[in-house]
Amino acid sequence: MILAGIALASPTPVAVPGAGIFTSPLILSLTIWVPVAVAIGMNFIPNPRGRYDTLMKQIAFFTNLGIVFVLFIAYNQFQTFLPGMQFEEKLPWLASIGVNYHLGVDGPGMTMEVLSGIIGISSVLASWGVRERVRSYFTLLLLLQASVNGAIAAHDMFVLVLFWGAAVIPAALLVFGWGGPRREAAAWRLVGYWGLGTAALLVAAMTAYAASGGNSFDMDVLLKATLTPRVQLAVGVALVIAAATRLPLFPLHGWASHVYSDAPLGVSVVIAGSASRLGAYLLLRALVASDPDAARLMAPFIAILAALSIGYAALVALRSVDLRSAAAHLAMVPGGITVFGLAALTPLSIAGGVLSLFTGGLAAALIVATAWTLTDRAQTRSLQLLSGLAPRMPILTWIFVIATLALLGVPLMASFPAETMILFGSFKTQPVWAFAVAAGLVLTAAAVAVITHRVLFGEPNRDAPPVSDASLGESWYLGVMAGALLWVGLFPGGPKLPGTQQPIFDPGLINIMSAGISDIAAPYVPPNPAATQ
Amino acid sequence: MKNYVLIPEALVVAVALVLVLLGRAPRRSRRWAPLAATVLVAVALAVELWAGSTLASYLGGALVQDRFALFAKTAVLLAAGLAIAVTDWSDEGAPAIGMAMILLAAFGAMIIASATDFVGLWAGLELAAAAGVVLVSVRRTDLGLRLLVAGGVASALVLIGLAFVYATTGAADLLTVRRAAAAANPTLPLAIPVLLLLGGLAMRAGLPPLQFARLPVGLGASPLGAGLVIGLVAAAALTVAFKISASLLPLPAVFSPYLMVVAAVAMVGGGAAALATRSPRARLAYLAAGQVGWIAAGLATHYRTGLGASLFLLGAFAVAATAGPSAMAGADVGEFALAGMGLLRPARAAGIALVFLSLAGAPPLGGFFGEFAVASALATSGALWLLALGLLGAVMSMAAAVGTLRAIYLQSPPDESRRAAGARLPVLTRLSTGGAVALCAVLAGYAVFANPIFSLADQGAEALGLR
Repeated sequence: MILAGIALASPTPVAVPGAGIFTSPLILSLTIWVPVAVAIGMNFIPNPRGRYDTLMKQIAFFTNLGIVFVLFIAYNQFQTFLPGMQFEEKLPWLASIGVNYHLGVDGPGMTMEVLSGIIGISSVLASWGVRERVRSYFTLLLLLQASVNGAIAAHDMFVLVLFWGAAVIPAALLVFGWGGPRREAAAWRLVGYWGLGTAALLVAAMTAYAASGGNSFDMDVLLKATLTPRVQLAVGVALVIAAATRLPLFPLHGWASHVYSDAPLGVSVVIAGSASRLGAYLLLRALVASDPDAARLMAPFIAILAALSIGYAALVALRSVDLRSAAAHLAMVPGGITVFGLAALTPLSIAGGVLSLFTGGLAAALIVATAWTLTDRAQTRSLQLLSGLAPRMPILTWIFVIATLALLGVPLMASFPAETMILFGSFKTQPVWAFAVAAGLVLTAAAVAVITHRVLFGEPNRDAPPVSDASLGESWYLGVMAGALLWVGLFPGGPKLPGTQQPIFDPGLINIMSAGISDIAAPYVPPNPAATQ
Repeated sequence: MKNYVLIPEALVVAVALVLVLLGRAPRRSRRWAPLAATVLVAVALAVELWAGSTLASYLGGALVQDRFALFAKTAVLLAAGLAIAVTDWSDEGAPAIGMAMILLAAFGAMIIASATDFVGLWAGLELAAAAGVVLVSVRRTDLGLRLLVAGGVASALVLIGLAFVYATTGAADLLTVRRAAAAANPTLPLAIPVLLLLGGLAMRAGLPPLQFARLPVGLGASPLGAGLVIGLVAAAALTVAFKISASLLPLPAVFSPYLMVVAAVAMVGGGAAALATRSPRARLAYLAAGQVGWIAAGLATHYRTGLGASLFLLGAFAVAATAGPSAMAGADVGEFALAGMGLLRPARAAGIALVFLSLAGAPPLGGFFGEFAVASALATSGALWLLALGLLGAVMSMAAAVGTLRAIYLQSPPDESRRAAGARLPVLTRLSTGGAVALCAVLAGYAVFANPIFSLADQGAEALGLR
């Protein structure tokens, strides 16, 4: 079944019943502006002494549920046999400098939207325990989610920079206001690195804009313009810096450990799950899909960064004495794998990279959230104290194991086809670094094995504080992410009516993400010797 | 329609004069003055928007009404009206004089916006600056004196620069200067006076490193006085810079390099200083200086898109920098002065937050739109080094704004016993709350309606003769 999923990665048109019947011109705007409107509206509800805090949580939850519903419609209406942008919206914004409010998603974009929806609802559930300044918290959380959705749907560089940069402020304030003991350092690092990334993205946009004649910021025009190799290199370097600060990639990963360790749980989930995936998505959209020459130029460099990130993260996790810090470093691994898939520049590896955007986001969010919940329930973060918790924490043990298996990409997990495609696809073009990535995954496996053995299955520590298992609420947000990983792992092409090829209610993530990949990967298809003779 | 075009100026001057006279009336009879002044400024603004699109010239061509004048006057009136509405008048020593001075400064800026010769530019700038000196002196005579001396130096530099430009080109009329510049070569005798002129204007605008008087005055003056000096006077100086740059456009070599250096220092210096300081008002002043740097960078590109972008940014700057200190009221000692403002004064807190974000150029407000447009003009003109420095400054500015937002929304209010003079909470009145809401609406609307506003700014640049 899994291998069948891999085979489906080559775009095979699948007619989904009902696809394209409902095409609202506002579907992407709804995912951006509804959270913004709700966030603003929440602040007009009187809330004396926090009397309506629960209402605030419910509003945030139902807003996210509504977005998931809208995305479910979009997901099912998505026409998998069309390679171009769908659900497009285009309005003039700053017409005299060529800025349009242009949104649209292709297969990879729709995959990211689905990821953002799942992560959004998980983050609200993960934030249910927030007690202080509840209204402010959920206002900022909704604004952060809106920024992420906007950056995914953006099809104009101005809109992309706007949402990319806008995410920094709510994210930093959430860490400042509700973070752990080292929140100051974490928040300032986040502002610094993400601010640098925003500046780098702006440099890339402006360089391409100037070199392409200064007429338009529309990605269709800007990123398809013919640029000199020098300009391509400049734009490529700036894009890689922007992506590396967000994903993060070594050596621009300085915020990750602090933020994942000290941000509030719901915020860690959003950042690890969807906000950071924007880095890889940027490379896909602005480099791999738009500028094949620059992508070929930068590919070895990006592959080295990816391999170094995986190896470094695994080594640090192996030596870590703090479970949250170890999980934070392990959460860097899926990003490295995704980027490596994109850097390998073969149709199979690019398809794997796109699927890895989804699976990596879920795996990273799940490992961070599980470690956070586990340390919270165990009342300590120290790996010297945490030991033999499996009998006392059966639910968290299961989810922790699922998270680690998802990180490693073992069969049954959605990350398995992703990693397999990436490694199969990359050994031709990047053999040395593919080997390095594989070695990094082995190191990751070692780190995961050591941590899992020590924390869950070791000898119980009598000096450790008392522990308790995950509550029902905690099981929900962890279960949503783990369930999504398993669902896509079991049904990458969607569940089918018995004896037919007709999907029931899920057209299959592999089919959705494949729409557009043939276009993206077309420049990287090796020439067919038979055709040239 | 032509006859209505000067109504806003007449209304503003009349209100200012009445307020000066009212300064002697008993305090009780002056309670309605802020509301009345706000309403009359709103009427002037409405008339400007209604009748201001008429192209006309007055006083033998000394003043013109064109798209540039319409844009600049609208921005100035909006800034003055919002500053009056949002001010905590219990904290102002002489409310009537305060309102009168801010209206006179607005009038000075309106004269500059319409002026077609050096006399009008200089007179308008001096009027705006003099109003600032008077308003600052109401609370702190020493600071007023300091501003007067520094302003005198700036004024002398501007005057000498204008005189030498006149001597070199043989004309004081901006259009004739432009024609003369088109026929001349960039020479040292022209470059030196332009340097003096721009130096004087940079000093008036309080740009780093020429902020000798602006920062201490900005910190020590009343909130309205600080807004006048940081916002309106700087906007007036920038409007002069627009007109001078446009008239010297055929010879960009004589002004563009200076503007680039000024812009680079202001953008990076403003951002770094804003990040380093803890005083909210000083931070606002430095953020404003950084944004002035962006405006100067747009002028340095010396073509229409750049000037249009700068003009768009000038509007956002004028509103935020003028009304910002008034919105913060007495909060000028440290970050804790704003702590908990989000809980205690939500409308005012939202206004302050938007002011800081807009001045920092953070998305998605007018400051971001303007700085992005300037950045695109810089990239197109090949000034990538200036763009890189600007982005460095913008990142630091954004970090500084995040620090302020954190104080406003995430820190608990200090105990009442800890509230020093510089951390006093503004008095809650209907007018100030309404003013704060209006400030939020204007700053948010500047982004939402960026397309028509930018289009008007572009027409403003075209009206200056740019193609």
